[in-house]
Amino acid sequence: MTKKINKTVIILWICVILVLLAASFFVAPPDRSGESIKEQMRDAVLHDVNKINFLGIKDVNPAFISAVVVTSFLLLAGVCIRLFVIPKFQIIPSKFQLLLEQLVGFFASFAKEKSPHRYRFLSAYIFGAGMYIFFGTLFELFGIQAVTVNGRSIALPAPLADINGAIALGCLSYLIVLFGGFFGNGFKGVGSALKDFTMPLSMSFRLFGALLSGVLVTELLYHYISLSFGLPVVAGVLFTLLHALVQTYVLIMLTATSYGEASHKKERK
Amino acid sequence: MNIPLNIDFQQILLHLFNFSILSFGLYLLLFKPVQSFMEKREHTYLDMHHKAETELKEAEELKAAYEKHLETVEAEVEEYKKKAMEEAEREADELLQSTKQQAAQIIMEAKKAAQKEREKILESAQKEIASMVMDAAEKLLSSSTSEALDRFLYSVKKE
Repeated sequence: MTKKINKTVIILWICVILVLLAASFFVAPPDRSGESIKEQMRDAVLHDVNKINFLGIKDVNPAFISAVVVTSFLLLAGVCIRLFVIPKFQIIPSKFQLLLEQLVGFFASFAKEKSPHRYRFLSAYIFGAGMYIFFGTLFELFGIQAVTVNGRSIALPAPLADINGAIALGCLSYLIVLFGGFFGNGFKGVGSALKDFTMPLSMSFRLFGALLSGVLVTELLYHYISLSFGLPVVAGVLFTLLHALVQTYVLIMLTATSYGEASHKKERK
Repeated sequence: MNIPLNIDFQQILLHLFNFSILSFGLYLLLFKPVQSFMEKREHTYLDMHHKAETELKEAEELKAAYEKHLETVEAEVEEYKKKAMEEAEREADELLQSTKQQAAQIIMEAKKAAQKEREKILESAQKEIASMVMDAAEKLLSSSTSEALDRFLYSVKKE
């Protein structure tokens, strides 16, 4: 009985795929009178054309709207978990509790490992940054649409695909390292952190470059309708998942290592 | 001033503002409660571990004390046994002695009673014989001649 149902589901699924494939060849080609691929890619890098009005206050880059959406979603999820899940925590954890504990435990132990003498604030910071980068990067997969001030419809990009977002996070991480050095080691700590003055630049542009490459590849794939069938599953979803994980790990690792070095008390010889 | 790559300080600050809210919110809503729960559980298990260790130590100390006590207990048992035997023998002797005394007293009292009874029987027999003799004499006196009475009196006198 179950085998029969499975077969029916598979046949239906194949039929849907075939219909979509056929439809993709019969539909009208994309409107080339709009933005060319060159313009789209330029806008994906610079965000200087397609701006979105933020609550009637200011025209902002779409990535900032993405950042606000991601923040709202994460905070809403956090409130729900805090109200409905955490009060029901048990000594022997359920699957979801285990997932949450693993997540928090990973960031806490990572901070403790990289900066064993001073890690409480660092663990909270890398938890926030890690969640923001990971979910912010995955956000581009949903392709949530927004209307620009020019009246065009665009898919909201990842928050860190905007250079301003990447600079904000890179510089904040560097500031955290500086403060860690100051609180852990006084002005000597600040001095040792200042020696790595290229760090905010490298952090910012690494994030921006990594996220941007994903956006550009996705833009390219979706611009040509023949490429937008099947291929995005691998190139879009899997690559996005992969670089969400990699970028999260890279930023928290760099921040935690630098923080640990700057705040470590040096013994006088 | 036109900054390349469309870098906008206002938007950088907006991103910072947004991220600060997110990280602080996530810290309060998720990180802190989950971590405090994990720490609480860790403390619970540590307490249980310490308690188990203390109890194990106590049990080992108790075991050692018992083993030490067990070594001396055999000698103690022998001593107790010896004391008990002596006590039992003493009590048995006392009991035997008192029983003998009681038996002697009972025999003595029995002898006294038997003697009294004998005397009593003898006295009663004498009285009875005397009465019988008197009866017989009265009968003889009333029925026989004086000769016969004389003979009888003579015989009584002889006796």
